[in-house]
Amino acid sequence: MNAAKPIKIIVSMIGLDGHTTGGEVVARILRDAGMEVIYLGVNQTPEMIARAAVQEDVDAIGISSHAANYSQITELMDLLARAGLRDVLVVCGGTIPRRRVEELKEKGVAEVFLPRSTSESIVRYILANVRAPRTPPR
Amino acid sequence: MKRETDYGYAIKTVYTPQDIPGFDYQRDLGDPGSYPYTRGYHPQGYRSRMWTRRMTAGLGSSRAANQVLKEYREMGQRGGMCVISDRVFSSPIDPDHPLGRKEAGVLGWPGSSLLEFEELMDGIPLTGQSITLLGSSAPSAIRLAYLVVLARKRGANLDEIHGSVIESPFENYFGQTDVQPFDLNLKLFLDAAEYILRNKMHIRAAIISQHFQESGGNNAQALALEMAMLKELCGLLVHERGLDFDEVAALPYELVSIGTRFFEEIAKMRALRRMWARLAKETFGAKRDKSCQLLIAVHTSGRTMTYQQPLNNVVRCAIETLAGAIGGCTALDNATLDNAHAEPSSLAARMSLNTQHIVAEETGVTDVVDPLAGSYFVEHLTNKVEEEAYRIWGRIEEWGGMIAAIRKGSIQELLREEVQNRHREVESGERLIVGVNSLAIPAEDEFEIPLQDVQADESEAIARRMEEWKKTRDLALIRDRLTRLYEDARKRDGCNLMPPIIEAVEAYATAGEIMGVVRQARGLSYDPFHMIECPFPLG
Repeated sequence: MNAAKPIKIIVSMIGLDGHTTGGEVVARILRDAGMEVIYLGVNQTPEMIARAAVQEDVDAIGISSHAANYSQITELMDLLARAGLRDVLVVCGGTIPRRRVEELKEKGVAEVFLPRSTSESIVRYILANVRAPRTPPR
Repeated sequence: MKRETDYGYAIKTVYTPQDIPGFDYQRDLGDPGSYPYTRGYHPQGYRSRMWTRRMTAGLGSSRAANQVLKEYREMGQRGGMCVISDRVFSSPIDPDHPLGRKEAGVLGWPGSSLLEFEELMDGIPLTGQSITLLGSSAPSAIRLAYLVVLARKRGANLDEIHGSVIESPFENYFGQTDVQPFDLNLKLFLDAAEYILRNKMHIRAAIISQHFQESGGNNAQALALEMAMLKELCGLLVHERGLDFDEVAALPYELVSIGTRFFEEIAKMRALRRMWARLAKETFGAKRDKSCQLLIAVHTSGRTMTYQQPLNNVVRCAIETLAGAIGGCTALDNATLDNAHAEPSSLAARMSLNTQHIVAEETGVTDVVDPLAGSYFVEHLTNKVEEEAYRIWGRIEEWGGMIAAIRKGSIQELLREEVQNRHREVESGERLIVGVNSLAIPAEDEFEIPLQDVQADESEAIARRMEEWKKTRDLALIRDRLTRLYEDARKRDGCNLMPPIIEAVEAYATAGEIMGVVRQARGLSYDPFHMIECPFPLG
């Protein structure tokens, strides 16, 4: 793995969630921070996201969520574990109630960014926690 | 702090007669009830017709949503009911679809069959209040069919039913999507609209800017888009479907999203009435006064409801409700204090309805029509937002109109840019949001509000019920009806699909089956997600 390569991250909605605003804003933030963003968009099943993670050899996955029962994020975590991708950093963002945040973290989601999280806090977290070795982006 | 309207117009310290040069009362405003209706449609304002006070319902099973509607009645919901669909029915697929079963009943009512509609409306009359079913564009024809069939079954007079159940295909591109292609949504929308008008039903179509604004668009853009959508869809109904404009004008309604920029929101509503009146008269040659009056409902903005310190949202909701009331609306529904967390809890719904009741009963706002008319500032803002909206609308026309602009992605880009601007403004502190980028408190100090949500096993239960129920239907009858629908749909745009959709709904064909068959007839896959096949042999 080339250490100079930028961090590669998937940004996606999951299931039938069609609320794209948050995901698009975050995708732009990450791109501006020098990351290579693979924006999957809407109507992505956990299987599709896991497959993309394998094919694209990503370092991280960001799931944008606007109201859900969160079963599909749990499924995604199981699929990633089964595919041997436990070192891929998974973060979520959106209108996620606090008690659900705890549940998601128990399932292996590294961090949940709540509405109005700053660009800086998202970028800083990913840089600090993504699998090594990667150089800081430009 | 930025002292600009949300569309970037710098606001001065004080406004004087110089800010409304050439102001002509009759031409620019007119009395309430007179063209160009800037001041509203009723000479007596709310004294003759109070706005419909309603709350959006829909979460979990249809029976659960039915209970919520009954609770809202107890909380003083008056004049109308409003139900939003879950994503499964919005798509539309069925709850027993492999994707549907994972989120049935999340975020809305799982209305994928007539059975669900019957359960939703159990013990609730179809007449005497407006029936509004929201969701997305794709299932518009199916929602309309539910209404027609249930009216038939109950022996209710279709003439006496009013409300809105169909939605324009544009909203699908404003940050909240369904999975069907634009052409198909447009075709079904026009079919449903034509059916309503030819049968003289009192059902409206949502041709609305609300999604656009809730996804981040500004006031002037929302106004411009609204006018562009209205012009294009009314134009299609007149020119392609051969309907008279004075009939078509009874179809659309606009759901205005009202945020916390108090005076600007009121100005926007006043400008909208004037812009529509002029479009109706000057472009479409409206003959009837009524045709120059666009029905306007208000949704107080969910986007302004913060996750942090949710009790602050009660205050925002009150300010927005007051703006909506002063702006002059036919119906109002509120975002709730828990909007950024979940669907409304009982407490949040009661707070929102009470906010409306307090504004209606205690402030005196219903006594006088258009009370801010003549304010140098408000008249100036009304002119300004109109001017800016005409400018943006002009650009949309240059792109070839709304449909062409959507196909090119121009509208989506407009929205994307504006969302980024908004994000930057908040992040840089140019715009302050109390509890978010100003006076924030640690998470552990947050007041804990009650939240309701739908668990995965509830979605699964909705799915399993549908799976079992499907087997009990008259399958031969459904096959006949779907075959007829398939044959009609193969005639492409030459054949209105409402009659066969109504027949299919009556036989309890589901939304997923109906849409799948129409898709297949148009050369698409039965299942937009390519996971299941059509269970009935067709043709």
